[in-house]
Amino acid sequence: MKTRRDFIKTGVALGTALSLADLGGLFAAEAPATAEPAPAPTPGAPRPVLVAVRDGSRTAMLDRALAELGGIGAFVRKGQTVAIKPNIGWDQPPAMGANTHPELIGHLVALCFAAGAKSVSVWDCTCDKWQKTYANSGIEKAAKDAGAAVVPGDDPALYREVEIPGAPTLQKARVHSLYLDSDVVFNVPVLKHHFGSTMTACMKNLMGVVSKRDQQRYHKIDLHQCIAEFVTFRKPALNIVDAYHPMVRNGPRGLSPNDLVEMRTLLVSTDIVAVDAAAARLLGHEPADIRHISIAGKLKLGAADLGAVDIRRFKLA
Amino acid sequence: MRRHPLKLLRVVLAVTVFAALGAALADFRDLVPASVGHRLASVQLVPALLGLATGAGGWLAVALLFGMSLAVGRVYCSAVCPLGILQDAVARLASLVPLRKRRPVPYARPLTWLRWAFLGVALAGIAAGWAGATLAVLDPYSNFGRIAADLFRPLATLANNSVVGIANAAGIRSLYRVEPAWAAAGALAFPVLMLALVSVLAAWRGRLYCNTVCPVGTALGVLGRFAAFRLAIERDACHKCAACLGACKAQCIDLRAGTIDASRCVGCFNCLGACDRHGIAYRFTWRRKPAPKPATEAATPDPARRAFLVGAAAAVGAAATSGLGARTSDGAGVAQPGGPISPPGAGDIERFLSRCTACHLCVSACPTHVLQPTVLDYGLAGLFVPHLDYTKAFCNYECNECGRVCPTGAISALALAEKQVAQIGIAGFHKDLCIVFAKGKDCAACAEHCPTKALRTVPYGDNLHLPEVTGELCIGCGACEFACPVQPQKAITVRSLRRHGHARKPVVEKAAAPVTSGDFPF
Repeated sequence: MKTRRDFIKTGVALGTALSLADLGGLFAAEAPATAEPAPAPTPGAPRPVLVAVRDGSRTAMLDRALAELGGIGAFVRKGQTVAIKPNIGWDQPPAMGANTHPELIGHLVALCFAAGAKSVSVWDCTCDKWQKTYANSGIEKAAKDAGAAVVPGDDPALYREVEIPGAPTLQKARVHSLYLDSDVVFNVPVLKHHFGSTMTACMKNLMGVVSKRDQQRYHKIDLHQCIAEFVTFRKPALNIVDAYHPMVRNGPRGLSPNDLVEMRTLLVSTDIVAVDAAAARLLGHEPADIRHISIAGKLKLGAADLGAVDIRRFKLA
Repeated sequence: MRRHPLKLLRVVLAVTVFAALGAALADFRDLVPASVGHRLASVQLVPALLGLATGAGGWLAVALLFGMSLAVGRVYCSAVCPLGILQDAVARLASLVPLRKRRPVPYARPLTWLRWAFLGVALAGIAAGWAGATLAVLDPYSNFGRIAADLFRPLATLANNSVVGIANAAGIRSLYRVEPAWAAAGALAFPVLMLALVSVLAAWRGRLYCNTVCPVGTALGVLGRFAAFRLAIERDACHKCAACLGACKAQCIDLRAGTIDASRCVGCFNCLGACDRHGIAYRFTWRRKPAPKPATEAATPDPARRAFLVGAAAAVGAAATSGLGARTSDGAGVAQPGGPISPPGAGDIERFLSRCTACHLCVSACPTHVLQPTVLDYGLAGLFVPHLDYTKAFCNYECNECGRVCPTGAISALALAEKQVAQIGIAGFHKDLCIVFAKGKDCAACAEHCPTKALRTVPYGDNLHLPEVTGELCIGCGACEFACPVQPQKAITVRSLRRHGHARKPVVEKAAAPVTSGDFPF
């Protein structure tokens, strides 16, 4: 199993994690705006690409978006270890839209294996009891059927504390070993309204890679600030937003399927801020009004201004 | 020494019941279906009687148990009662330890007064409206339940955790680490002491506990004396070699008188195989004698039994008229600050306490472990009764396991839809402590977790969101209290309800699309 192997090579992994953390430091708020290479749009640099697809099945939309970005092979190379982080927060069935749809996760797992991935692991630090949540969400079955390892998110032994130099407020967190040690991380949230953070998509979904206690710390210190700062630690290789039927109110748990609005949309980008900005628009918000998006923009973690993004729009029907 | 087929049958039944019930109670991964624990617990005598009294169970289990005891004697104590089977296991293990030369346990006179005193205390307690607490202490099933749920379960968890690493390395992915669920020291102490007591007694004198303390043993002993099939000494064949005494765990074979005390014989059938001369037989007794009374003891009326029978009749009558002590109380929906929160389906604290014998099957079955044993949180009448502890977890909205496993009807088996509106408490918001108010930062961990949206946020200050409670929608599940990051005094807490209420089911109309066009809004 993936986590065992990682446990043995803790030393190597820790080194990787620290070097990634150092990299994060480059994008800290106080970093000089000019000299440092940053993924944020700088004059002359290529604009980040955001692929937005509508009106197809989840799997067809993902295939279309990936084709535009060079295929799955552009992200997963032979022999790599892959971790997929869906939103599996709630003990709710797929029709409630509270979790990422299992079909999307199953398909992505299969694509990763087809690209030669050595292992694919799926996990989340759930809000409801993880066994029930994994099962009811349908993700456990979909992921396992496609050959992935489904890893618990509540086992303290699977978390390691890391310093986050680029996060003056958050400073450190206990992070799941899958996020620390995997070669490739896919961030695959479902788009929802959120009573605390107004909306939840890619950056908010990464709150599920830190321990329960750290999640409480986020709330205690400054929710939006911590959500944005954590991105300085490590950016997922690709962000995929399931906006097939986003939850537009009563989120993130939802009360009924009536809280969902069918949009049949999928957003994909390597730029976590740009994709959240576009997701905000789907829910009728200005990106600038979502505090963690504007903080992330200021930290130069990506393009909060959609005008600076190369948006490629596709309608499959 | 032969193995008698009846003994084999008894052992097979005992091992099956013990393994299944033990697994249900010590289940730390929710692997055993609710129906297994519920069914096996429901055929234990005390839960069966309580189930009959509360309407949670039917006549079948009670009729079966009484019928069985009348037909074949106290076989229940050997093959069905998990505390009895546990004692046999302990005695068996103890016999393997070569401490000193073991001599056969001789015949002992019954401790009649003591036995009936314990049964009398149990019945008096029930009659006085203290059924829950009395039975929590004296019911053998409930005692076993706490030993297995509060002690064996965390020990099994530790055992699991110690092999997870090796199993995972060997490619077995199905094992994972589980946080051991230890009860608070006070709640754990009693089952530990109880296990020590029955173990010492079992190793020393077999079924001394069952034949002295246990009121279920005493009650079934009364039936056993009149059982159709009874073990008896064949005086012509018996040479008084005392081999049977060595096999008997109840000290009930009186070789001098040539009798077997059927009130203490637990029907283990060990003696049948121990005797090489067929000196003990399992006989049908109803046909042989004109009078059904046992000749040995009925000749001399026992004053203790007489006195007891009068008392017992009075107690049973009182219990029947008092409706198992479910005292009436006013104040439905009245919040009780600081009081323990009872599980959904408990209905009303008085009713709950009169029926719950604290077997802790629900504590084991609760997937989030929000159900935790108490000691005296409910008062003496609610000894060891579980409550919902929102410092540990919160009650899962999609779950009704506790009601499904409860064998006595203390926690009604609510359908999921009913459970989802069962109001066990009401959340109270303490604005001054709330991060949004005190620090001016967004949080809403409470509203995020609320399954009924009794808690939502309203616009506040500069683009902030302040929690707001709608009491009539709140079911008191504690998700908000658990999630609230404010320490040590939470900014949102659930007050318990002495009598549970009904929350209003939220009506959800179809949401309007935030973006109307079928195009991309960017």
